[in-house]
Amino acid sequence: MSTEDQDKPLFSELPEWADVVPIPQYETDAPIAPILYSVEYKDATDYFRAIVKAGERSARVLQLTQELIRLNPAHYTAWQYRYETLLSLSSSLEAELKLTNSLTFKYLKTYQVWHHRRLLITHLRTPLPELPFLNRCLALDAKNYHTWSYRQWLLSHFIDDEDLWKGEIDFVENTIADDVRNNSAWHHRFFVVFGCGVREGEEDRARVIKRELIFTKQNISLAPNNPSAWNYLRGILDHNNLPYSLLTQFVKPYTVPLNPNAVDIVDLENPPPVKGAELPCVYAIEFLADINEKAGDKESLLKAVELWKSLANEHDTIRRKYWEHRVRDALQSPASA
Amino acid sequence: MALISRIKRLVVEILSILHDFFWARFAKLGPQRLPPPQESSPRDVTARHKKMEEIRLPSLNRPGHAAHAKRCLSALPDSKTDLDASRLALAFYNIGILDLLDILNDGTTLPQWQRDGWIEWLWAQQTHGEDGSGFRPSPFMVHNPPGSETKYSNYDTPHIIMTYTALLALALLRDDFSRLDRPGLIKFLRACQREDGSFTTTPKDGESDLRTLYCAFAISAMLDDWSGIDVGHAKAFIASCRTYEGGYGQEPFCEALGGTTYTALASLYLAPPSPGSDPLTTAEKNQTVRWLVNNQASSGGFAGRTGKSADSCYCFWCGAALKILDMSHLIETKALASFLSECQFKFGGIAKCQDEHPDPYHTYLSIAALCMYPPSPLWEEEKPESWKFPVLDPLLNARVETAEWARRYISGK
Repeated sequence: MSTEDQDKPLFSELPEWADVVPIPQYETDAPIAPILYSVEYKDATDYFRAIVKAGERSARVLQLTQELIRLNPAHYTAWQYRYETLLSLSSSLEAELKLTNSLTFKYLKTYQVWHHRRLLITHLRTPLPELPFLNRCLALDAKNYHTWSYRQWLLSHFIDDEDLWKGEIDFVENTIADDVRNNSAWHHRFFVVFGCGVREGEEDRARVIKRELIFTKQNISLAPNNPSAWNYLRGILDHNNLPYSLLTQFVKPYTVPLNPNAVDIVDLENPPPVKGAELPCVYAIEFLADINEKAGDKESLLKAVELWKSLANEHDTIRRKYWEHRVRDALQSPASA
Repeated sequence: MALISRIKRLVVEILSILHDFFWARFAKLGPQRLPPPQESSPRDVTARHKKMEEIRLPSLNRPGHAAHAKRCLSALPDSKTDLDASRLALAFYNIGILDLLDILNDGTTLPQWQRDGWIEWLWAQQTHGEDGSGFRPSPFMVHNPPGSETKYSNYDTPHIIMTYTALLALALLRDDFSRLDRPGLIKFLRACQREDGSFTTTPKDGESDLRTLYCAFAISAMLDDWSGIDVGHAKAFIASCRTYEGGYGQEPFCEALGGTTYTALASLYLAPPSPGSDPLTTAEKNQTVRWLVNNQASSGGFAGRTGKSADSCYCFWCGAALKILDMSHLIETKALASFLSECQFKFGGIAKCQDEHPDPYHTYLSIAALCMYPPSPLWEEEKPESWKFPVLDPLLNARVETAEWARRYISGK
């Protein structure tokens, strides 16, 4: 706590609050998990209960709720009462948003601060400045679930705002470039490209799918053991009802040890693994097994079984039981007969 | 009497200050750990992770975890003030820990006055009003003296998550639910459901997502009465949270997450079955199982999202989701227990990962995960008696006896 906080007078010491009779917290004789409140929190909540009971809406209520939120950002009633008071006083919601900015940075993982923000933006209808703000939040914590959820809510809520949407692909491209293993960024890419309607300039879906496949394969070639990229690759194919076998040629070099004599080639369709890649790659083996399982003939199925067994016994032993389950499942299917 | 209780509070306060002091000290003294490596290859590390048959577990510190729960039940330091608005959930986790450790209802560990006191406190949180009845988090917003027959205002309404945990906590204590306002509860659920099928935390206010939806489903299941919610609508909301990875995000468009995937699946399987249709297609089920098992890290613990590090709470959320899908046989139980044993804090309680501070949430969920996945086989040196657990009902998240009690006495049927 800073010295400034320690010097702050209690509400019970302030003459402008002298007209209010504080209401203590009622407890039973044997309460469960009572919290040994600080003097400041007890003081603020005693006055807050009194204000709420009286139904007061005034400037000092904003002062009190701000203090209470600082002491307990998860106090959802303080947020609720504050929001209603702002509306009833016709206070500037722009100023409130500014204040919320600093609270958001401070309490990135608190539900209430993000909920309050949604209420404000729903009312203000000013989504565009939110994007640079969210980028600052992501600079603090690139995988924060609340920040990403809010970004997805914002974009879907203002779905027709082309200005809001137009830089989103570039943004997500950069975020993935910053950390290719950031699954939140990959998920967001899926949301932008496939999950929330078709944007202007993206109507040619065949072109979009091709672009996404090349982007993902490129990223896999640079860091093959990245589950986020492989899941995204599967996502593109599943979402568009495309067979995994489209990628057989791409996947194969990733399923075997790295060829030390391979020469550098530029192949956009089938980019080879980068020099020094740790191979074979579990996700590639799994992908190739899926292709073989889907093929439907007995020979391919046995090939899939062989691949799963290599995962179970050698390359991915923590999931041994899962791979054995895949083997059993496949051998019970009609194709194995 | 008042003096005694003041002295008691003082002692608790001193203990808790000492506790905090030592916590801070030991956190500093603990071994210097490097941040988790940005693994170049999270999975193909066969050489690095121990072979399953070589794992040797230490004993589970049952007395320590029970003491941690009892400490939290008796009082919390002011550093936990952010739990003020969810105290009832905390009560559930702590009482639940004692139940899973088999000492809550053994007739000796807890004096009757203590149980009665807890039961009274829980019922004191049941509140009635315009939008029906349910439980609030604590008396933190009550502004009328107890016993005054007033209805709640807009600012001390019941809370849907607290209502679910209150019902389970009372079932843990084997209450007979004669004080439960069942029609009021149905009315409350109705007041919380939104047009998109989801549920708000409190009537007409608060955030809405899959967590609150699960609570509505669990409450309806315990009541054995689904008239309070529009199930079809709610199921459509669940479906809209499914992602391309096979898990479920917290709300539509969000990234797949272990906790919300559990709440989605548990809700689907708690709901009255629609004739001739499984909640999921075979393809969906396969995809979800694939995503769930891929969240198990080589350490044996589960991560909540693709590419994140393991956290003890996801051993429950992902583990219970697999159990619901009837796929519990796919998990390496000793690797899981090995990870959780490393999350144990030396003075009791379980943390989210090694060298972090413990809390009731992670402690409860870790032990609940072990109830579904008891490690086996165990050697004599691994203190097998410390690794024995009751069977857990994965849908309601309570041991089977407690879940059965809840369904029987809450429904009143």
